[in-house]
Parts: sequence; structure tokens; C-alpha cells
Amino acid sequence: MLITGIKSKPVYAPLRADVGGRYHLMLGLGSGGLALLRVLAELKESAPEALENTRLLFAEAAISRGAVNAPAAVAPGAAEPPIAGIAGAAGMIEQFEQLGLGSVNRFDDAASLLDAFRTILNESLMGTRLYVAGPESFIGLAMKIALEFDLNKDEIRTEEMGTLARRVYCVHCRATTEEVRTNIVRCAKCERWLLVRDHYSRRLAAYMGVMVDAEAPCELPPSKEIYL
Amino acid sequence: MNDAQTLAVEVTGIEQVTPLIKHFTLASAGGGALPAFSGGSHIIVVMRGALRMHRNPYSLLSSPHRLDTYEIGVRRMEESRGGSHFMHDTVRVGSRLEIAHPVNLFGLDKIARKHVLIAGGIGITPFLAQLEDLHGAPVPYELHYSVRSPEHAAFLNRLREREGDRVRMYYDSENQAVDFDGLLSNQPLGTHVYVCGPAGLITRVVTTAKSCGWPDSHIHWEQFSAPPVGEAFEVFLARTKLKIHVPPDQSLLESIETAGVEVPYLCRGGVCGFCQTRVLELEGELLHNDHFLSDSDKATGKSIMPCVSRARCKNLVLDL
Repeated sequence: MLITGIKSKPVYAPLRADVGGRYHLMLGLGSGGLALLRVLAELKESAPEALENTRLLFAEAAISRGAVNAPAAVAPGAAEPPIAGIAGAAGMIEQFEQLGLGSVNRFDDAASLLDAFRTILNESLMGTRLYVAGPESFIGLAMKIALEFDLNKDEIRTEEMGTLARRVYCVHCRATTEEVRTNIVRCAKCERWLLVRDHYSRRLAAYMGVMVDAEAPCELPPSKEIYL
Repeated sequence: MNDAQTLAVEVTGIEQVTPLIKHFTLASAGGGALPAFSGGSHIIVVMRGALRMHRNPYSLLSSPHRLDTYEIGVRRMEESRGGSHFMHDTVRVGSRLEIAHPVNLFGLDKIARKHVLIAGGIGITPFLAQLEDLHGAPVPYELHYSVRSPEHAAFLNRLREREGDRVRMYYDSENQAVDFDGLLSNQPLGTHVYVCGPAGLITRVVTTAKSCGWPDSHIHWEQFSAPPVGEAFEVFLARTKLKIHVPPDQSLLESIETAGVEVPYLCRGGVCGFCQTRVLELEGELLHNDHFLSDSDKATGKSIMPCVSRARCKNLVLDL
């Protein structure tokens, strides 16, 4: 049922330092910090002077509900899913700070990190390279902001670390459902059952969800937890 | 593009705007509107001289919002192969010319957050048309225009009238030069730079922008190379089975066309890649003069841009 090989599905590669840039801006969420540590080690090796032109924004927590204004996947009042914290995340900030970067900022959640990111882009100059590491939905939200500033693929590197949970855009009511881990999901707003497609929108930072039982109401294929 | 698709135009105005540059106004010979174009487009002007035919690319400098006439600026080249001399010396008001439809290889980036335009000499022409779109739009822009001396500043009055002090002038005669590093190291994210003018200016801008960390996708440049003069050589066309002689002052493309073989082209200046032709056999070396093929493509010797490139060879067979 799921069409594979859809070209819009983002492809990620391990982060590599781009010494062609004059300024480096790094965003990390959760275990994404490990990828940033790796690229920082590479930068230290190949262009140590670049470290002082590097700004790093990091949050240990997973994406917060506040990161989007669309309805949440969980019912109001329900417990939030467990935060995707990882062992050693707390020590990451200390490791970043030891590298002598231009600045290191720690945030409580992805939403406040992304707000600060937008402010920084407003005053950033041509020659900036962006590195984003974390769960796919975090990368998507960061890319959505970067796109507003006309940053393109030559200037951005992304590495997926952490959960594959998707943001799913309901093509019927246009609401976005967060943290979707199953191939079939109920839209958080219109409550239609949606098939989660690989068809991805960079503008919306979400995968498309299409009503799965439109032709045979209530006949749902088995739901599988596949975006872990 | 071939000659069947050209438009007949009549020269309705000629003005000498600097000691070296003439400004031509062209209207459709049959009356009516000319094809629409966007800022940065060029046309190919086909000139039927007494001895030979010339086809030269010229940027449209008139407003894309006005299609009753096209305007071009033609600089008289010292080492002309004849095209610019023909335009300067033979063409009069009332002369008929043929032109190819406009093509844009130097368009403005539509999602840019700022535009920095850098012109040298006759390189101002595509920007004159682009400024028609930029003026009054919310996206900020700046124009840096360098010329030899005040008398060489073509179209400056037109620019000043509309753009005022936004035009930054640099005169070589007064030792003024653009501070490229200062300019390109201090631009907000999402800026695009555009440069048109002499090869040296383009190289300076491109290398400075890259050293400031600009990605290629934000650097735009256009330079139409005139086909360089070289040694004569012979070429064999495999499909049409024709042996062709390329004289020193004629390009490979022109020689092939003279023999009656049509090669698709757009810019005739080594930029667009349209006339790329497969090399089937080669004993000798290709003299690549285009800006289209990568250095590694040039090194393989598998293809050639006949509009500007030549060969020094015993044997050359092309897939035509």
C-alpha cells in the first residue's frame, strides 16, 4: 500500500565539516549532539581557527509540543510521551564548552532553540554553514526556517540521530499531527484515519497523510509501529 | 535555434552613448509587439555582411514591461571579427536585421533576500533590464558600476534618474575600485551576487565570493566570449560526411553553418551549453574556450562547444 521510492523523502548523510564556510552554525537535539561532537573534532583537526567562528545551540530534550501550533497527537491532559533523553546528554554541554567555540547555548526544548535560531539567522552573513543533527522532525523544522532565509543545500548539512517519529500533515483538514510512530494514524484534528506516506514537504516540514479508509469506511489495514 | 526562427526587426534609433558604445533601438519590422522577455535576457543579432554572416549575442537593456521596442548596447571591440564593426559602421536607422528570440541565461533569483549587482563597462546592459523589476520591489539591492573614466559611463543618466545614489560609480581614471572583500564579506544570508563585464572582473568577484564562503548557487555571472581567432584546422562531420575547413577568423560553429549543417545554439558565447557536440575521434588537442564544460570534462576531450572552441589537430571527427 505504501508507495516507496518517493523522491521527496529526505536523505541524510553523516555530518562533515565544510571548511569553505566562514561561520559555522550548529543545531543539536538529544543524541544529535554526538554528531556535532564528531564534526567539531573534524573542524578542530582541519581548520582549528574555525572553532571561534562557530555558534552552537543545543537542547537535550526531544521536540516539545510548543514547537508547533497545530494540534498535538495526544489528547489534552494526557501524559506527554517520554522525553527522548539519552545517557550522556548532560555531559555534552561540558564537552562543547571545552572546545573554545564562539558560543554555546543550551535550551530547555526544541521550540526555544528554534526561536533563537531564527533570531541568529536574521543577523547572519553570507558564508555561514548550517549543521543540524537530531530527530528527523527537528531537522525538518530547522530546514523550514532555513528555507525562509534562502539557505540551500550547499549551505546546510543534516544528520538524522534519534527518533524517526514523523510530523504528518493531513491533506484533508491541513492540521499537523506530531510524533507519529505508526504507518496508520488518526488525524489529531479531523480524526480521519490517515496513511502516512513517504511524500515529504519541505515547506511544511511534514509527511503527507492521506485518508486510508475513504473507499471502504472503517476498513483499516493493520497499523504497524515503524517510525521508531 | 536556427535561422528559420528569427524575427525581422528594423533599427528605429541609434545613439552614440560613449566613445565606444552605441545604443540601438529595434522594432518589429512587421509592426506589433515583440516577444516577452525577462531581465537579463539576450538576443542573437544576425548580420548579413557583404563577405560573411555574423551572429552576436547582445543583452536586452530595455524594460521587460515594454515590448514595442528592444534596446541593445554594442561596444566596438578593438579586435573585432567583424560583428561589432558591422553594427557600428554599416547599420543605419532604417536598416533591417534579423534577431533570434530572447533567451535568459542570467535571470534574477526569485527567492533571493538581497541582490548585489556588479557591472564593468558594457556589462551594465543586462542590469538595466533587471533594475526595471527590482525598482519598487521589497527586496533590497545595490548596484556597483565600474568604468574606465566618466566619459565611458554608458547609460549613467538613465540610471541616476531612476536609482539616484543607489548607483555606486567607480572610475579607473580616478583609481577607484570596488572593495570586493569588504562588499562580499558583509552581506546578509540569502544574498545573491551578479556580475557582468570583463573576464578579470568576473574572476575577481567569483573568487572573492568563494573565499568569503559563498556557495556557487548564490554567484551569478555572464560573459559572452567572442569566438577567439586561431590557427586554421580541418574537421570531419561523421553523420553528414562533410570535410570542413575552419579558417583563422571564423569559429567552428560558423564554419559548420557555412557548409549548410545546422547545429542547435542559444548563446553563441560559450555559456549555455546548447551547442555541445560529441567528439568521436581526435589526434591533437581541443582548445576549449567555453565557460560551460567543467575542467574535468574539458580534459577528457569527449565533447566541444563549437561556438567558441577550436582545435589544433591532425584529425578531428565530430558527431554531426
